[in-house]
Amino acid sequence: MKIRLENIVKRFDDNTAVNDFSAEIESGELVTLLGPSGCGKSTMLNMLSGILYPTEGKIYFDDDDVTYMSSEKRGIGLVFQNYALYPHMTVLENICFPLEIKRVPKKERIERAKKMAELVHVEGMLNRKPGQLSGGQQQRVAIARALVKEPRLLLLDEPLSNLDARLRIEMREEIRRIQLETGVTTIFVTHDQEEAMSISDHIILMKLGVLQQYDKPQYLYDQPANCFVADFLGNPPINKVEGVVEGGKVILNTGEDSLVRVENVPDGTKVYLSFRAESVILDNKSPLKAKVVMTSVMGKEVITSFVLGGKEVRGYMNSDAELERDQEIGISFKKTGVFVFDYESGERYL
Amino acid sequence: MIKRPFFERIKPLLYLLPFIVSVTIFTLYPIVNVIRMSFLEGYKYLTGAYTGIGFGNYQKVFADPYFRQALSNTFKYVLIVVPVSTVIAVVLANLLNQKIKFQSFFQTAYFLPMVTSSLAVGLAWRFMFNDKIGILNYVFSLLGMDTIPFLGKSGGNFLAVAIFGIWSILPNTIILLLSGLQNIDPLYYTAAKVDGAKTLRIFFRITVPLLAPTIMLVVIINSISTFKMYHELFPLFGGPGVAYNLFTVVYYIYYEFRVLTPPKYGLAAAAAVLLLITVFIFTMLQRAVQAWSRRERGEDVKKVKKHRDEFR
Repeated sequence: MKIRLENIVKRFDDNTAVNDFSAEIESGELVTLLGPSGCGKSTMLNMLSGILYPTEGKIYFDDDDVTYMSSEKRGIGLVFQNYALYPHMTVLENICFPLEIKRVPKKERIERAKKMAELVHVEGMLNRKPGQLSGGQQQRVAIARALVKEPRLLLLDEPLSNLDARLRIEMREEIRRIQLETGVTTIFVTHDQEEAMSISDHIILMKLGVLQQYDKPQYLYDQPANCFVADFLGNPPINKVEGVVEGGKVILNTGEDSLVRVENVPDGTKVYLSFRAESVILDNKSPLKAKVVMTSVMGKEVITSFVLGGKEVRGYMNSDAELERDQEIGISFKKTGVFVFDYESGERYL
Repeated sequence: MIKRPFFERIKPLLYLLPFIVSVTIFTLYPIVNVIRMSFLEGYKYLTGAYTGIGFGNYQKVFADPYFRQALSNTFKYVLIVVPVSTVIAVVLANLLNQKIKFQSFFQTAYFLPMVTSSLAVGLAWRFMFNDKIGILNYVFSLLGMDTIPFLGKSGGNFLAVAIFGIWSILPNTIILLLSGLQNIDPLYYTAAKVDGAKTLRIFFRITVPLLAPTIMLVVIINSISTFKMYHELFPLFGGPGVAYNLFTVVYYIYYEFRVLTPPKYGLAAAAAVLLLITVFIFTMLQRAVQAWSRRERGEDVKKVKKHRDEFR
């Protein structure tokens, strides 16, 4: 099912949680709503599920205007952060419950629930109570319960945040597998950029209720729309050094020429030079010099911290060169993963 | 281990002493004494003399038609008041738990019986129950129904005391149930509503089962307190109904001990012990039910861990 959001605004008293949000979500895709806490992503999800109604704007499911339609009529499946499995019902009863409400005959109910249980791999524990399951198993049951009535849209609200790190990776792959097998349009809310990057067809990145960028995960990483997007994505976080534009050159605050060039930016504009750790090249012929702070070996990679433009930054360097503390090295940048943003507005110049 | 000085070792006991002393004097000693008294035949309270030891008092108590009537009245009272008050309280607590207008007004109204003197309120009920000037019978006559002689004999006064009893235990019951309701994660309701569940289905399939442990607790606590029914009789009838038709077990104890001359201490003690045993059985039942409900919810920590390990 295709979803169209038109100029959605949601205000709580004086507080605007979502502001002028427009997006289209293609049928059968898994789209992640990503952003730090308080960015309005859960509010957005609640408006999609019909738990909240927008103050302004329209929501369309295919061609139906569902803006003010109540939840149960929308045909959605919802998975909560803490799963909200009914503790007094067995796994089977939990999965059956949405069908029971729809007055599906008991025999068919159980049949469909068992099929769902197989899909999410909990068929061996149908008679257990949720309290007897591990977090990952509860998660699977919650997904089965959301999917059993064959919703047009599956909504997942931070479904992995209660799991430990290893299980989280396993479950996000499971969610992707289940989504691909059923082909259900899915919206996934998370604050974890790695989770979002690994699972989604598209990511919607939000900040303070405003959509920042809506793109494929890799594109979000390679071509961030603004400084916030660049800061939010990537591990280790992107390096940021302050500077000023002079004649198209980005001059660092310490007076060095960063060798990065921008066009059509007035002289004297304060900027951030942001670059990914993998975009740094150790190049002793380069006139741009930096001082090594330390190197640390992390598995197959060597990450070097060095001081550039008065800031400590990090880069993946050629591991053959053994760098020592306080050693002066030459630095240059690759063509990709290097950006220039306005210091104030975060607008991207390069 | 280093041996601590004597005073250090007995210090905890000193802190506990006031409690131990008062419990011993005012709780343990009377219990033991009552049990002892129940086995002494022909016991004289003042002289301490008795004629024999045995189950004679129990035999007499069971043979006493007054006691049988007291027992049947008490059970009837428990069996009516507890279920009815529980059902009413569950419904009212559920309503009070909703976000409604004038919520605090309703809460105050329902909790009023708790903060007022039961004697004063009982007298007010006595007026309401009155055949001639009472509002209840007035309403019945307006509705074209037969009036009920609430304060007379023939079962009418049993109804009156049952209504008064239900009304008096509602506030405590509602408070306990409300706290149980507030422990239910509202997310369960949201989840059910998103799936299209209506109010009644949510109430019976989610609220009531999740509240079941609290309901069980309330039923048992109320059973224990209604078994001891006694003081409700005084403001309404000034005694155990008309011609003793509302004898209850506690009133029987009081009657044998205080009203009769000469008092039959042994019978009173035996009846008291029988009541103690009944209440004790209920308490045990409560513990068993609570343990069962914890197991039902899979809250048995060891078991949960075992399951998790199996599936790792």
